[in-house]
Amino acid sequence: MSANPVPETDARYGEIFDRGYARYDGPRRGRRGAITSLIGFSMKRAMGIRKSWTAKVMPFILYVAATIPLIVMIGVLAVFRTMGNLDEFGNFVSYSGYFMAISTMLGLFVAICAPEMICVDRHERTLPLYFSRAISRNDYVFAKIVAMVLLAMTMTALPGSILWLGQQLTQDQARQAMVDNSGDLLKVLILGVLTSLLYGTVGLMISSFTNRKGVAIAIILIGFLVVTGISQGLAVALEDYEWGKWFLLGDLNTITLSLSNHFFHDVVGNEFVERLAISQWQAIGIMIGIPLIATLILRWRYATRDDA
Amino acid sequence: MGDATIITPDRRTPDAVIETRNFTKKYGKFLALDAVNLTIPPASIGLLGANGAGKSTLIRSLLGIIKPTSGDANVVGYDTKTHGIKVREHVGYMPEADALPMGTTAADFVGHMAEMSGLPPRQARQRAADVLQQVGLGEERYRLIKGFSTGMRQRVKLAQAIVHDPQLVFLDEPTAGMDPQGREDMLELVERIYRRMGISVVFSSHILEDIELVCDYVIILDQGRVLASQSLKHSEENLGEVVVQVDGDANAFAQGLRAHQATVRVEEDAATGHPILVVDVHDEHMYDVIRNVAVEQQSVIRKLRSRSRSLEDLYLGSVNAIAEVENVG
Repeated sequence: MSANPVPETDARYGEIFDRGYARYDGPRRGRRGAITSLIGFSMKRAMGIRKSWTAKVMPFILYVAATIPLIVMIGVLAVFRTMGNLDEFGNFVSYSGYFMAISTMLGLFVAICAPEMICVDRHERTLPLYFSRAISRNDYVFAKIVAMVLLAMTMTALPGSILWLGQQLTQDQARQAMVDNSGDLLKVLILGVLTSLLYGTVGLMISSFTNRKGVAIAIILIGFLVVTGISQGLAVALEDYEWGKWFLLGDLNTITLSLSNHFFHDVVGNEFVERLAISQWQAIGIMIGIPLIATLILRWRYATRDDA
Repeated sequence: MGDATIITPDRRTPDAVIETRNFTKKYGKFLALDAVNLTIPPASIGLLGANGAGKSTLIRSLLGIIKPTSGDANVVGYDTKTHGIKVREHVGYMPEADALPMGTTAADFVGHMAEMSGLPPRQARQRAADVLQQVGLGEERYRLIKGFSTGMRQRVKLAQAIVHDPQLVFLDEPTAGMDPQGREDMLELVERIYRRMGISVVFSSHILEDIELVCDYVIILDQGRVLASQSLKHSEENLGEVVVQVDGDANAFAQGLRAHQATVRVEEDAATGHPILVVDVHDEHMYDVIRNVAVEQQSVIRKLRSRSRSLEDLYLGSVNAIAEVENVG
């Protein structure tokens, strides 16, 4: 009996066998299917799914880092609320506290994911392939924004909701607390979506100016840090002038905390939030306006050009 | 956004897969396409022209990747201006440049491209597996693309272009940068796309021989102008030559043919370096002679292919005619 059950053949590597070609007469989902696929593919790539393990490391580390303050906060809630001295922790265990704690990690997360979604398509020249499929350029930009915002929401709205759940479950009357505080959940979700939209679209917009992922990551990180620093510096230097506060619009964290403070009234002693002093609707307008501008710039970067 | 309902494919069979009227593209002052007028039937279409003749510009303009400056075009029965997405749903495109995500497996990428053309996820995965098998990458489909050779990457590009079963596929210089064996395999695949799969092909190349081998219709472009747009079938009827490749002694086979009053010469295949026999064919009887000699010598005929001199004549004649007109002008 042969030791090798596989029959030997004369076939050379890559030889083409004609097994017959089957036509496709099944359903086609049109643009919606294409957009959904692009959203899913972009998210998977950004998270390193079905890629080498090195691509998964950074998103994983950031998720772990974002989970730590959440676990600590819920732990503090569980332990100290039963002991009755939760107030000693001030605004640490609060929604604004959480959003402040993860703002740096959210910036890092966007800096990792946005270039992966945008730069790689340009660098690997797959854009002509996408634009030769059943989507428009608007669809492409829309899909990338949705993908980025959905991923960013896993760092904002999702943990924020878990924190809300933790807040309610540590109450004496948990079920009643959930009903009473359901409005807070809605606010957490709105804050999470707007924060994700704010950071995500700015990250995508910056990424669209370069083909190089590394360059985009550096620009986003440095950009967030430098622009925040300059904004805060100018706001402080021009504190004698009322208009000087508008420089703080360059500080995304202050904008986020301003809205969070309107929602939950739990930001204490933050000089920049106090200095900016914008109304709730102004904060919402800014958190929609900046993404809108970023989206228009992003779309302009994908205008039909001769070098497309 | 598009309709959410499942759309049953509208497989039209238009008389012309491409129709253009005064289709023009300018890059600043440079005229890349000069009022191109075409009516092309379903076929294996060769788009022939020197580098810079406007081949890629024509393809990319028809797909809507770049905007034409003026003129109209219909592709697979749809107006490219008003139904661009519909056109792209039923058309495939294989670009000349490397255009693959290196950190993804071939199966994932081709499946994703099928979904990008509207196929549901399950069908997309199935089609990706089938088409990768068709292009000879069945065993390699779960490997990352960055580990592929140039030839394998070209096959992945081809697979993504046909995975959604288009009515027409644009192949922009698919043999560029390939070794002789890879080139031959690619040409074989291109030929199968139209003849076996029934997908019309626009095959762009600056190599006459490639177009001659796989196309039955040719468009000749020069400096953005259409010099010729015609079927090659008529030329094949007046062929006069057939190329034969046999296993074994080519010279002995040539002697055997000469014994039957055939006019034959032995040449070297430009792509593979193998000896080939070029036999003058005056009537169909010569095919019987070739078969009989193969039987007599117990030789295996590896290839038997008609070769047209007329395409070269057509190309050179068209280019020269334009040059003469310009000189006179």
